Amino acid sequence: MKEELSLECITLALAKGRTAKGAMNLMNEADIFFSDFHEDSRKLVFHDDEKNIKLIFVKAVDVPTYVEKGAADIGIVGKDNILEDQPDIYELLDLKLGKCQFVVAGLSDQVLENTTNLTVASKYPAVAKKFFQQKGMTIETIKLNGSVELAPLIGLADVIVDIKETGNTLVENGLKVLEEMDDISARLIVNKASFATKTSDIQSFVAKLEAILE
Amino acid sequence: MRNFTFDRLNDSAINDYQMREQLIQTLKYRFATYGYKQIRTSTFEPYDLYTQVAGTIAPDDMIKVIDPAGKVLVLRPDVTIPITRKIAKEHSDLSGELRYFYVTDVFRQSFEQAPDKERTQAGVEYFGENAPEADAEIIALAIHTLKDLGLENFKIEIGDAGFFKELASQLKLAPETLEQFKQLIQAKNMTGLKQFLDHLYVNPELAAIIKEIPLLYGHPADVLKRAMDIVQNEKIASKLQNLANVFEIIQAYDMEKNIVIDLGLINHMDYYSDIIFQGFVENIGKPILMGGRYNQLADQFGTSIPAIGFACDIDSLLESTNGQEKVYSPPNDVSIFYEKEKQPFGLSIANELRMRGYRVLTFPLNKKMQSPETVYTIRLETEENILRNQEEISKFADLAELLRLLGT
Repeated sequence: MKEELSLECITLALAKGRTAKGAMNLMNEADIFFSDFHEDSRKLVFHDDEKNIKLIFVKAVDVPTYVEKGAADIGIVGKDNILEDQPDIYELLDLKLGKCQFVVAGLSDQVLENTTNLTVASKYPAVAKKFFQQKGMTIETIKLNGSVELAPLIGLADVIVDIKETGNTLVENGLKVLEEMDDISARLIVNKASFATKTSDIQSFVAKLEAILE
Repeated sequence: MRNFTFDRLNDSAINDYQMREQLIQTLKYRFATYGYKQIRTSTFEPYDLYTQVAGTIAPDDMIKVIDPAGKVLVLRPDVTIPITRKIAKEHSDLSGELRYFYVTDVFRQSFEQAPDKERTQAGVEYFGENAPEADAEIIALAIHTLKDLGLENFKIEIGDAGFFKELASQLKLAPETLEQFKQLIQAKNMTGLKQFLDHLYVNPELAAIIKEIPLLYGHPADVLKRAMDIVQNEKIASKLQNLANVFEIIQAYDMEKNIVIDLGLINHMDYYSDIIFQGFVENIGKPILMGGRYNQLADQFGTSIPAIGFACDIDSLLESTNGQEKVYSPPNDVSIFYEKEKQPFGLSIANELRMRGYRVLTFPLNKKMQSPETVYTIRLETEENILRNQEEISKFADLAELLRLLGT
């Protein structure tokens, strides 16, 4: 039963959390409804009312993996996770949801230029490494999974690379933005093989969302 | 006990090998029916061969060894380059055509993220002809091969390496920005492309074409028409015309159902010069087959030979045919059980049957063992000789009678 359904429809991996709500609204606007979906439900798999789309909820960092490996045909996930993972996928739409920015932040007396042996704490070590590499700096990265702002305060790292939405968290912890990096928002990504083998299904889904965004 | 497994190939099941070999046989057979002959190149190659040819395999990816003379060698990291070198050496002015196929292992420190160091590739190379007919033949062979494996919902995406190269050269980008541009095109990232072009000074006509690239995907006739409408550049227009010609011939092969055009297609191997393509099958995220035309590669070896080819990764094919391919476990044809005194007779029967192509197992009768699954069972007992085919039991006196019973 499970198999039969998945053969017919396209699978959409949605990042749990902030992005999910916005994406769900966007799809509702595009007349794609998931009536059996409730926010407090603990189910991870849903079908849309027309049974064309299978929606799976996964952790944001895992969305690029699901899509790259073809476990999901389409994914909706923040650009931050795409930049960190560098998956070989198509990135077809900017959904303009959950806008924020990658920044380098640290204590106010921290200087970046001409600093050797800079230690950078981040949830996004690959992004951090690449950013400083382009500046010609080699850094030591420390991978953290949360409360990254703490690292400079207790001397675990000199600076952090993290996403900034309002900047409140930084200010409250006495950190300041030292440098601005890439802008981030939710993107629609597509598996390359799915795009080739289920072209019309995927293109019509993309077109529906695109029409709403314009 | 120590665990000696370290990667997938090193740990693959013995039964998988039979399926793998059968798949290879299927490929070899199909390649042969298009007139391709098998070729092999050495496992060890000079390191310099791969560093000379720019834009192919990163030096860090190659597995190096040092011979007693201090020369640095690599384990064959690619097949197209050594075959081209070989052909260029043997045919300094090639006038006819040459068609070769190979099934061989390639070695790299890593294949994308996979930890494997060894992969088996099967592929074909067609030297000496630079024409839409040759391009179409290669693509038709690729499609035919995938069909042989029982794959149905697969697509061959066709593009042109020169299309991207020409546009990139007009943009005159620095190497780092070129890499960024490449990534945007490969991801069909329209938002990113727009932002990227806004930061550069690009003439509006060129910018319009580039922004359109992610959309130039789909049915060949439709995509090529849209592309021709926006392209002014003669060089690019002739590339599009070539793709249209190739598509026309693929229609004549009656294989257009499996074709899409993707003008945003880029291959990481820099030696591709014209038409390029890759094959995708449902539920496998990465291409299962890749190829294209590489007309300038032989120039590196002092001659000029147009060529086109493709390669597929055997393990990816196995993965994609998983469940579709019938499990290959042929029963042996005959098992012979003999009394010790009839051993010479038993072994001579075995010999005669093997000469006729039967697969034969022999056992002494007194050994207690489970009888293996075979089509025929022969028992040579002291009093009588019995041939058993399922429920049917017959007796025979000598070899001639046995052969008659077997219908040989």
